[in-house]
Amino acid sequence: MEQQFDIRMLMKTEIALTRNKGGVLQGMVCGKRHEELIVYRCFPFQYESSYLSIRDAKDVELGIVRDIGELDPESAAELEKELQLRYFLPKVTRVDRVKNKSGLWLWELQTHLGPTRLAMRNLHEHIQYPGGGRIILTDLNGKRCEITDWQALDSHSRKQLEEIV
Amino acid sequence: MTIMDHLPDRFREQLTSAPLFCCRTDLLLDGSFGEQWMAVTEEAITVWEQEDRPKAKFSVLTLSDARVSGGIGGGSLIIETYEGPVVLARYTAALASMFGFAAKLIGALAKQEELPVISERDLPRYCPTCGHPLGEGTQVCQFCMNKGKAAARVLRYAKPYKRQMATAAFLLILTTLIELVPPYITKLIIDDVLQPKAAGSALLIFVVALGVTTVLMAVMQTVRGYIGIWVGSKLMGDIRGDIYGSLMRLSLAYFDRRQTSQFIGRVNSDAESMRQFLTDGVIYVTGELLRIVAISVIIFSLDWQLSLLALLPVPFMIVASVTIWPKVGRRLYQQWRSIFRLNTMVGESMQGIRVVKAFGRENEEMSRYDGANAEVVRNNIKTEGLWQFIFPAFHLIAGIGTLLIWYYGGGKVLGNEIQLGVLMALVAYLGMLFGPLQWVSQMVNWASNAIAAAHRIFEIMDTPSEVPDADRPAPLGKIQGSVVFEGVTYGYEKHHPVLKGVSLRVQAGEMIGLVGHSGAGKSTFINLLCRFYDTDEGSILIDGVPIRQISQSDLRRQIGVVLQETFLFDGSIADNIAYSKPDATPEEIMRAAKIANAHDFIVRLPDGYDTKVGERGHKLSGGEKQRVAIARAIIHDPRILILDEATASVDTETERQIQEAISRLVKGRTTFAIAHRLSTLRNADRLVVLDRGKIVEVGTHEQLLEKTDGVYRKLVDAQQEMSQIRGVSV
Ligand SMILES: Nc1ncnc2c1ncn2[C@@H]1O[C@H](COP(=O)(O)OP(=O)(O)OP(=O)(O)O)[C@@H](O)[C@H]1O
Ligand SMILES: [Mg+2]
Repeated sequence: MEQQFDIRMLMKTEIALTRNKGGVLQGMVCGKRHEELIVYRCFPFQYESSYLSIRDAKDVELGIVRDIGELDPESAAELEKELQLRYFLPKVTRVDRVKNKSGLWLWELQTHLGPTRLAMRNLHEHIQYPGGGRIILTDLNGKRCEITDWQALDSHSRKQLEEIV
Repeated sequence: MTIMDHLPDRFREQLTSAPLFCCRTDLLLDGSFGEQWMAVTEEAITVWEQEDRPKAKFSVLTLSDARVSGGIGGGSLIIETYEGPVVLARYTAALASMFGFAAKLIGALAKQEELPVISERDLPRYCPTCGHPLGEGTQVCQFCMNKGKAAARVLRYAKPYKRQMATAAFLLILTTLIELVPPYITKLIIDDVLQPKAAGSALLIFVVALGVTTVLMAVMQTVRGYIGIWVGSKLMGDIRGDIYGSLMRLSLAYFDRRQTSQFIGRVNSDAESMRQFLTDGVIYVTGELLRIVAISVIIFSLDWQLSLLALLPVPFMIVASVTIWPKVGRRLYQQWRSIFRLNTMVGESMQGIRVVKAFGRENEEMSRYDGANAEVVRNNIKTEGLWQFIFPAFHLIAGIGTLLIWYYGGGKVLGNEIQLGVLMALVAYLGMLFGPLQWVSQMVNWASNAIAAAHRIFEIMDTPSEVPDADRPAPLGKIQGSVVFEGVTYGYEKHHPVLKGVSLRVQAGEMIGLVGHSGAGKSTFINLLCRFYDTDEGSILIDGVPIRQISQSDLRRQIGVVLQETFLFDGSIADNIAYSKPDATPEEIMRAAKIANAHDFIVRLPDGYDTKVGERGHKLSGGEKQRVAIARAIIHDPRILILDEATASVDTETERQIQEAISRLVKGRTTFAIAHRLSTLRNADRLVVLDRGKIVEVGTHEQLLEKTDGVYRKLVDAQQEMSQIRGVSV
């Protein structure tokens, strides 16, 4: 296989994505049909819908989509959905409660994918601040949730977070 | 107890034969939280959501394979049907190993292979209280296990110093009681001497008594202070030693995930917080409590009505303290965390100071620091500022009590109901009661700090090592050195395997060369052999004994390693070479250095073998360091020698010399050598080619070269091409 040394940016015409009956992402990339495609976010924290690496089932990069908005609507929708599934990072819509019980921090959260609970042994190793008002919560099992901007949450949630972040 | 999730009866009824495996997912197919059930029988795989009717059903006959596709924070189980791949279930990361097994099972069914046996390791088990997965082979949740309250555990440190602490407490009680005497004497002076204007020896006696109590108090305070310092320092030493011991016991995986310089500060500052609580804290609390009780008794016996009035604000203060307590705790923790982040940042840039300087990023590092620094300042003001409100408020409340006393007590004196001295004594005692209010706030601070520090310390102490020693390790004498890898799978993060199903048999005395692209998993392979990490699946055997059953000190005694990142300790070269054999004679040290081709350059150094290396002192070049590391690995005459890029930083000529020396040394020893420069491995009996975590080729150099499109052949060709361009031979 010939080695490429440049990043290949995919044009709108070069990529068309669909989903098969079984729910697997597939499509045409650069004129070649792929039964299964994998997508990666190159900058999962910084750019959620830009710089998406499209790879075949063998994990070889076919190219990069600069921005999801550049694609045709159907491909964009499928790509968006695939990212949602692959990057399981529920967005917190409300913080119901944060309590500290016998040395364990228990979080009760509402996310855009439904309610969930997180348990943390401490706060200093389980909370990341990528910048802005963003917070990434990682629980003991490695389950992660994201608060896009904690200042933008409702006042109840902000109050819960005030002494935490 | 069944080790599988219990399939609800309404679904179970629909199955025609007994399920081989069933499980519950925690996500729906559309990726939202929810439950979905899956049952695998000999004939079919059935999936249900909420309704009784199956959501999907696949006959095993229509399947060709199954696999998992790991995402970030979750994954999906995919089956290969004749009509293309189908996503069967989605799950969060917590269930990854269970679905890994499910995929294997379905795959085996589809391909009509022997079915895998489920092991307990594949199944997630959750603690019912906190929902955290339970550790391997235990039923007790390490996080919820009632370890006793942190405070009780802290107190346990004081146990060895019971006698000293008791003496200090006894002195404290005495001081507290004696402290109560002067106001009473004052009362006597006013009522019995000054008011009746009774001249005579009484005044002198009272004044002398006052003087004696003051002297007594001073002496006792000094003694108590000394005991406090003595016990405190001892306690600090004990706690620090314990923390460091715990750190040493922890496995590499723990440190992989953490910035290590943080521990420098934590060991000291957390130990100090605990000490402060134990010595000063405990003593003050007992002292203050005692004082409160004693003062209450005295003032009530002086005049109970006035006392009641004066103590009116006390309940308010207690309520206020109790409500504010958790808030203080959280703010203190917040403050601690911002300092923690600051320290981490300093540690990081100091470790990378060469890179910072090389790229001229001093100013950026400064501004990064300034940001974190400002955060600390903000939190400091927030936390400390809290007291600036509470303090005056407490004083105000306490002041009300005193005002009430002056008013009603003054009235009583005027009405001749009580004597002036009683009023004066009451006011003085109240002052003593409310005066030390700052200690209350200080106490709250200390206690919160200490409890938080204790939690952090106990967290380190309670973290189980991820590579625990077996209960009864198999005795291992001098080993032969045969090594077997059996279906070893390992990932630094569980859901992202780096080595996949690696199997290899190595005879005693064989030399194995590990080759493969960067990131293929070569270092991981030897990390597992050294048992820095434990395999996720499969096992590793040395002389037929699984390494989990060998005690780690035994294991390491048989293994000599040169790691890819050479690290030398702060100490002399001789110390570093003798690290694994502290009783090595100078002759042995020199012999090892000679084999590693390090002897000559060391002798030429002005300080010879006593040259200081490491953090401070003389810096060695990359290749020199490597040679010292090789000497360190061979000095204790290990049966298994591991060389990870051991000669990568030395020139070809030196490498050839080292190789010759090593080849003499490796006779009869099992050796694993990793090298990118393939010529390094020409003495190897067999070469093992790793590619993306799998063994793709095994054989001698010649055998592998014969495979024209083999991975090894390509690596060799590429290197030859390179050296031809450069005009040198490899
Ligand atoms: N401590 C770690 N934590 C997480 N991932 C790691 C860790 N160490 C290595 N990895 C990952 O594991 C994979 C294999 O790494 P490994 O060090 O075994 O490669 P290698 O074959 O020795 O490569 P090289 O030839 O560059 O030394 C890499 O993808 C790497 O990113
Ligand atoms: Mg390596």
